[in-house]
Amino acid sequence: MPAALADVLSPKPLDGGWGWMVVIGAHISIGFAYSTPKALSIFFKDIQEDLGASYSEIAWISSIMLAVMYAGGPVSSLLVRRFGSRPVVMMGGLMCGVSMVTASFGSSIVYLYLCIGIIGGWGLCFNLNASLTIISKYFLTKRPLANGLAMAGSPVFLCFLAPLNQFLLRHFGWRGSLLILGGMMLNCCVAGALMRPVPQPPHPGSMAPPMEVEQTNITKSKGSCMKTAKTFVDLSFFKDQGFIIYLIGNVMFIFGAYAPIVFLSAYAIKQGVEEYSAAYLLSIMGFVDMFVRPGTGLVANSKWIRPRIQYLFSFAMIFNGTIHLLCPLMTTYPLLVAYAVFFGVGFGMVFALIFECLMDLMGNQRFPSAVGLVTIIECFPMLLGPPAAGLLVDIFGDYKYLFLMCGGVITAGGVFLFIMNVYNYNRLDKAKRGNSSEQNQNNTEQNQNTIENQEQESSSEAQRELMDVAQSDPAGQEETS
Amino acid sequence: MKLLWAVAALLLSCWRADASTAGFIISPLSKMKLINDSVELHCEVIGNPIPEVQWWFIEGEESSETFTQLFDGARNERVRVNATYIEHATSTIHLLSLTLDDTGTYECRASNDPDRNDLKKTPKIKWIRSQANIIVIESPKITADPTEVVNQTSAILRCNLTESNLSSKGSYWTLNGKVIEDTKSDVNKYHAQLSLEKITHAESGPYECVFDTEPQVKQTIEVKVLPSVGAYKHSEHGNENDKVVLKCVAHGYPLPTDWVWFKEDAEDGREMPISNFTNERYNIKSTPNQTLLTIDELDMEGDSGNYICSGTNELGTNTDKIKLRVRSRLAALWPFLGIVAEVIILVTIIFIYEKRRKPDEVNDDDDVGSAPLKSNSTSNHKDKNVRQRNSN
Repeated sequence: MPAALADVLSPKPLDGGWGWMVVIGAHISIGFAYSTPKALSIFFKDIQEDLGASYSEIAWISSIMLAVMYAGGPVSSLLVRRFGSRPVVMMGGLMCGVSMVTASFGSSIVYLYLCIGIIGGWGLCFNLNASLTIISKYFLTKRPLANGLAMAGSPVFLCFLAPLNQFLLRHFGWRGSLLILGGMMLNCCVAGALMRPVPQPPHPGSMAPPMEVEQTNITKSKGSCMKTAKTFVDLSFFKDQGFIIYLIGNVMFIFGAYAPIVFLSAYAIKQGVEEYSAAYLLSIMGFVDMFVRPGTGLVANSKWIRPRIQYLFSFAMIFNGTIHLLCPLMTTYPLLVAYAVFFGVGFGMVFALIFECLMDLMGNQRFPSAVGLVTIIECFPMLLGPPAAGLLVDIFGDYKYLFLMCGGVITAGGVFLFIMNVYNYNRLDKAKRGNSSEQNQNNTEQNQNTIENQEQESSSEAQRELMDVAQSDPAGQEETS
Repeated sequence: MKLLWAVAALLLSCWRADASTAGFIISPLSKMKLINDSVELHCEVIGNPIPEVQWWFIEGEESSETFTQLFDGARNERVRVNATYIEHATSTIHLLSLTLDDTGTYECRASNDPDRNDLKKTPKIKWIRSQANIIVIESPKITADPTEVVNQTSAILRCNLTESNLSSKGSYWTLNGKVIEDTKSDVNKYHAQLSLEKITHAESGPYECVFDTEPQVKQTIEVKVLPSVGAYKHSEHGNENDKVVLKCVAHGYPLPTDWVWFKEDAEDGREMPISNFTNERYNIKSTPNQTLLTIDELDMEGDSGNYICSGTNELGTNTDKIKLRVRSRLAALWPFLGIVAEVIILVTIIFIYEKRRKPDEVNDDDDVGSAPLKSNSTSNHKDKNVRQRNSN
């Protein structure tokens, strides 16, 4: 390792070595987080019969789980910042396991809401947030690839859990299945064990804590209620232009993203496709998704795309939206299969990049809090999207309006992101040229986080990280922007 | 005095002018009916005050007619009279189970004259009357061929309406009371034919050939098959000490009248009949189209196995088999414990590996996460350590 590098950076992300084990851990953790709420629906019919609940009451279990998983983001961020990823993920895995095990003894639907929905949701929330954070700590140059691989956990686990759940249901009944599933979720603790904390220099006395985040941590210990609330939801993020742009684009995407998945089989059956073949469409989509995510990560990692990764993200969103807009034209089964394939591609691309782009915007330090804030805001479009789409179907009696709406919203979001990012990148380039003379000083002094630079820091921070790596890496792998 | 008489006369004429004599709004209509059928005659009368309505039966020729009043319950309860007196008078007379003797003229009489029931005056003067004829005829003979279809794979049903004075406009067939669409014909007025190419339980049932005459006449031909008995689910699972319901459904005509459950003995395959008395844990509830066997407090060894439901109708019996598997309470526990053990082992291995490889990293467990990526490192005197680690 060249001496110059060690002077400049500390600690440098590994970008390999143990990092890949961490990616495996994150893969497992994220996999359980996204696929469990969906895979549980296989048990719903049996639970419905046993507990005498109605269809909508049962469906609430998944909804509560997803809602808590997203809404708990800020709390999870706080814990990750305090304790690091490993204890949080292990705690999350334990909570998930306990939630499923206790749910297997349940005798009322409210009990299930509590166990699976709330406790399970919290567990998954811890898993998700902490896994994403640890990736940002371990990877920089290969971060998009690592993100893609980790996010691929979602379709992989869904493909794996769905038939497994069927098998368990047949052989052990829903109670036995939940018990075994609880055991399996304890594997998140294994994933957590893999997330070795990144070696950090312990609190150096000379290190003045300029970050607002640090400040609020310290003031929290004084016991002020307002300040405590501030640690959960760091509102300073809303002053950041890049963040707001990302948030708006994301909200639009999430609003339209899930409804087509929910209604795809029903739409296919209406077009005259058999039930089994219709269910197969979703499997095709999931299968394609599995490969597209790491693939996108690889593409995003390349030297041409990496600096302009936000463009790739907006392109992926527009692609996804356009596919939905074209869906009403797909009336035969082969066309629907093609739609499912392209849907898988678009969906995978967006999800591989969704957190990578946030890391790119926010940089390492601010990412944990940012992701917590993003998930809690995303909670609303996620819960509102499918019912709103369902309402459209009820009013018009035709599925095509659903796809048109979802496609329209997603495409609009993508276009918005693209335009705003053009503007944003230009602004940053100008600022960078203006600041280039101060560049070296910033690296050695501590004023990088003074309020004046706050505005530019958000997106330029990531750029600077890359630049620094490029400067110190004689091989010149990364392009300076 | 004269003034008083004038006023009284005026008042009286006013009062009388208010009153109106009775008049028919709806008169009863004549009908022709078959024996054992039922008929209804309806009569509505308006007037002020509200008129009273009566029904009378007239038999015999002119000038030697006999009049009989019909009350509710007359003719051995075969007559039902229903009258309402709200704003105007309505009355409906129902005649049930018609016989040939019910043929005759039925008269609806109404009057609102206050003197109407005075025996000193003849009824004709005070009562208005409206008549309808009811003619009851014998059912015309319809020859049906065959009279019944029993356990055949195909059949042709024929009906002939021959010895009858009635004129027919056409014919059609019904199954279970529902009209079979393609059988409506204006051409086949007195001969109706229906061919059934493949008779399964879906085509079985009571068929009727209906002739469009006045009144409508029909004949029934029953197509009977063996009951089609099927288990709702061929493989059922139950949990130990829980309860399970085994269900069999039947289709076809006629539906089974008897349902019997058997349990197949595990060793010799003999079928042991089960009834509500065999065991207090068993409960059988049967209706013609389905039977439910509920077993409480399942026992893993004793209750697992094959169960046979058999439904019997007048033609014969059909059966189906259900395989019941009883899961032990603790069945899921072993895999669960196995997985927990695996998790504990893996976590232990990972921690031990970590401690062995880099023992000095144990102190850095506290990942504050706020250390900036690029920094102030030159002022940080731990630099040397960092450099060392990064060189790995």
